[in-house]
Parts: sequence; structure tokens; C-alpha cells
Amino acid sequence: MMKFLQSFLSCWKFPIQGKLSKKSKAKPRNGFPLLNLPRVVLLECIENLDVLEIIIFSFLSKQAKSIAKLINWTPLNIHLLYGGGTICVRLKLSTAPGLQWIIAYTNEKKLSAYPYFHSYLTGPEVKHCLVLRYDGNTIEDSKHMAEHICEVFHSTIDGIDIGQESQIEWLIKFQPTIRHVSICDDVHVSAKTLDRISKSLKVTEYFGVGSIATDEEFQITGPIPSRSVTIDNSCWITLPSILNGTNSIIRLNESKLTPMDINTILKEWQKGTKLQNLEYLEIKTSPVDSFTGEDADNYTNALFHDLDLTESADDDERPLTVKIDDEFEYTLREVETMNNLIRSDGMIGSIFEIIGEFERDGMLLCFYFQVWRKQT
Amino acid sequence: MSSTEQGTSSAAPAEPTTAPESAAAPEVPESFYYVHGKDKVVHKVSAGALQHSALIHGMISNLGYTEEQAKANPFPFENIDGDILQMVVDWCNQHKGKPTPPEDTNLPKQKEKLFDLVLAVNYLEIKELLTYCCKQVAMMVKGKSPEEIREIWMIPTDAEDEAAEKEAKKRAGKEAAGETAAAAGDAK
Repeated sequence: MMKFLQSFLSCWKFPIQGKLSKKSKAKPRNGFPLLNLPRVVLLECIENLDVLEIIIFSFLSKQAKSIAKLINWTPLNIHLLYGGGTICVRLKLSTAPGLQWIIAYTNEKKLSAYPYFHSYLTGPEVKHCLVLRYDGNTIEDSKHMAEHICEVFHSTIDGIDIGQESQIEWLIKFQPTIRHVSICDDVHVSAKTLDRISKSLKVTEYFGVGSIATDEEFQITGPIPSRSVTIDNSCWITLPSILNGTNSIIRLNESKLTPMDINTILKEWQKGTKLQNLEYLEIKTSPVDSFTGEDADNYTNALFHDLDLTESADDDERPLTVKIDDEFEYTLREVETMNNLIRSDGMIGSIFEIIGEFERDGMLLCFYFQVWRKQT
Repeated sequence: MSSTEQGTSSAAPAEPTTAPESAAAPEVPESFYYVHGKDKVVHKVSAGALQHSALIHGMISNLGYTEEQAKANPFPFENIDGDILQMVVDWCNQHKGKPTPPEDTNLPKQKEKLFDLVLAVNYLEIKELLTYCCKQVAMMVKGKSPEEIREIWMIPTDAEDEAAEKEAKKRAGKEAAGETAAAAGDAK
């Protein structure tokens, strides 16, 4: 932690060690001895600081940090973002909807340019950034930064983009329940880590897994607790995992679920005993290199087997959006006809598309199912 | 004791103005009180202006002094420098009976003066002025680097804090040892 502190502060040209002897000899004149103020007044002064200033202040010393922690701050929405070679800690306040504070680690400029503040407007949002230099230890630095901010602002991490496997173990230890986790594309995640995630990490709102690389076969049979799940190479997701879940949104790519498995899902949904919260299900198979018309018929027949379906024209009342996560709404296609299942509580399950999509490696079979209710 | 009576600033007349004839009810003549700081310079301030200070307001609310009694008994604030008290009195006069604006740009820019002003305002319990002062203190570090903030606010490093704590413990130990020795001497 001390090492991280030093690297954070040293960004401003004055390493702590170098500063010690100099400072202890002579106090700067004409200063404002903030910590000598009566405690109530001191806290009122600190309360007037901006989010980034509070963070900087709390890094100055243990005493400064403990003072900053005394204030009953509005909890921050903390999200660790990863992508495009940049790591950011994004902070938002429910009381300031148009504002974001971002601590970004980049290496676009010369060393001497760091750190710097800059603010910009994107759409209706103002973003205030503190830009720190990206170095080899940036993942570690971002972890420490997140821990520090959580402690000072009495907040929890709302979401994280995982860019390195080591972040997963850290997250399980630091905060095993979290609203939003996204494992980025190309992250190497071992079967052991996937097992750790399934057993020890509770992602409540959105769990997304990109095209990750795994070293061995892994399958999950237990439910994934998130409201919304998007998994790119989802070969490790099994039928029991889906059936035993309470997910509302399920999007699986490169799935190994068979049409018979999907048929079981639909039957269980219609019975009302499982998947009661389901709003949207999208399953895409792995690419199949030779796929004939007969294969397509077989696929559809197996999928529709023994289902009590009614065919109808698309309905104006069917919602055309689904909420994937707090920040992303997915727009569905309008279709001419669809096949509906009706559940005893009046919910309609519409199979609104089964299509084949040609990709570089062959054809994907895509299945789209939406649950909705007619307005009375 | 050298005591110089000073009038209030031009913003607040020293004597109550005559009520216009058209006024429905005759105005109660404004009462005045007197305060002095470390420099013993006495400031004459109206009760209306002093209402900003919860401390002084509490002190005078039940006094029922006559002008003469008030003059003879100025409130002493020995812990407040004369120039700082002058600033406070000026502010109270300027904002007498007026809604306070969201910002006040007339606060001192020198850090030591602002520090003393904050202490005085806190002591005198002048809530609105304290709010301005705290905002001004926060503004000092706008856009500053951590080391600049450390310098401006004189925040010791952890090592300095530890050294100071050790020193304090050492001093406390010495004092305790001295007291024990003195007590033993007394017992003999």
C-alpha cells in the first residue's frame, strides 16, 4: 500500500522520501494549518471539496485519510473500466446525474506531462478526469485506488471490467458480492478460476463474459445469480445451470445447448415452475461449417417438439427493448410472424426469430425468445 | 486600558434613522452594543448586525441593557485579533437584515488571516460567514497537485506525524516522571 501511495504521489514530481527531510526541517510559511482547525470546521471545509480533491486529500497521510472518512459522503457509484489499453476508475454520484469523475491511467503523453486534470463534455455529461501514468503495475494500482475510494466514501464497487485474471481473486476477497462484472475478450481465465467465480462471486445485476481463453474443459451446472447474463463462448454453460437460475436476460453465444435443450427450457418455462423471471433468451450456436436445409428442419422440429404453439403476427404491444444492464438497452427486431407459448399466468413467450447467420467459420443458428404480457 | 471607540462602517449608520412619517407603526429605536478584541479597540455594533452571531445574540438577548450600560460593558473577545474582529463586525454590518448571497468574494486572501477569521467566526457562531469561509478554504486547493495541497494546508507526512507523536509521548512521560518525583518529595 505504501508503495502504491508513493507512486500515486510521486506522479506529482515530489517523491515522499525525498520530501521528508526537507519538510521536517522547515515548515512552509504563509500556509493554512488546516488540521489545526476545530474538527467540525475542518470537516465543513473538506465537505466543500470536489470528488477528485477529496481523493487526493485522503492520500496525503493516514491522518488526512481518517479525517476524510469521518464525513458522511453520499455513496459513490464506483466502476473499474478496462479497454483499449486504458484502465479507469469511474465515479458517479446519484445526486449529480450529469457528472462523472474519472481516474484514468494512460501512456499517451510524455512522463513529465503526468498527472494532469482535464474536463470535457460528452453529450449531456461532464467528465472530470485525473490522468495518471499507465505503468506495468497499473492493474495493482487501480485495485488499491478502488479499495481506498471504497474506504473513504463508505461505498462498494458497483461494477468492474476484468482485464486480467488476477483481478478475479482480488475481487472475491475484497468484495464477493457485486452488481456488475464483465470479463473482457481474450482474458485468460483458467477452469479453476471459473470454478471460483461460480462458487464464490455473487454478481447480482449483470454478468458478462467475453471470448475468454480457458485452459481446460469446464462446465457449470449451478445457477448464475445475475439478473442479466451475456456469455460469448458459453460452451461451459449447461442446461441445469439455465433451468435452475432465476435470470431475466440470458444471451449465450457459441452455445453447446442442443435444440432438445432449448425445447426443455421452453417447456419448463411454460409450466411456470422454472425460469419464472425470464424476459429474454438469446442462444447462438457455435459455427457449423456444413449445414443443409434438412439440418435446419431437424433443428426446428426438435426445438418445437410437443410445444403448444400458436402462430401470430407480430404484436404492437410486444416491447422492442430489453434492459441488458444499467447502461445498455438492446433493441429487438420487429417480425412479421412469431410463435407464441402462453403461460397459465397470462405471460406470452414469443419465439420471434430462429435464423441462420453466416459467419467466417460457418453458419450460426440463432434463437430468440421474449416474454411479455398484453396490456389489459 | 486604552480604549478607542470606533463607529460602525458606512454601511450601517451609527444612530438609528428616523422612521418615515408614512410608516404605520413607529419603529423601535435600534439598540447598540460594544465589542472589543485583543487590541481593546471598541466597536459599536447594532443588535441587528450582531444577530448574525449566535454567541453574542445569546449573550444579549436577555440583558436588557440601556445604551449607557452597554457602553460601559463592552463584550471582551480577548482571543480575537483586533483586525479580525473588525472584519467580522464589518461583515455583520454589511449583511444586517439582508439575505446572504450564495458567495462572498470579500474574504481575505492571505491564508493566515483567513485561518484567524475562521477561528473567530466559529467561536462567535456566525453560521453564514463560516460557510463562506469554509468554501474559501476549499477553493485554495482548486486544481492543485497533492504536494501543493500539502504545502498550502500544511499537512504533515505520516513520518512527521509519527515523529510528533513520539515526541509528545516522550514529553508526557517526562512530565509524568517529574510529577511523581515532586509528589515523592512532598511526601518526604
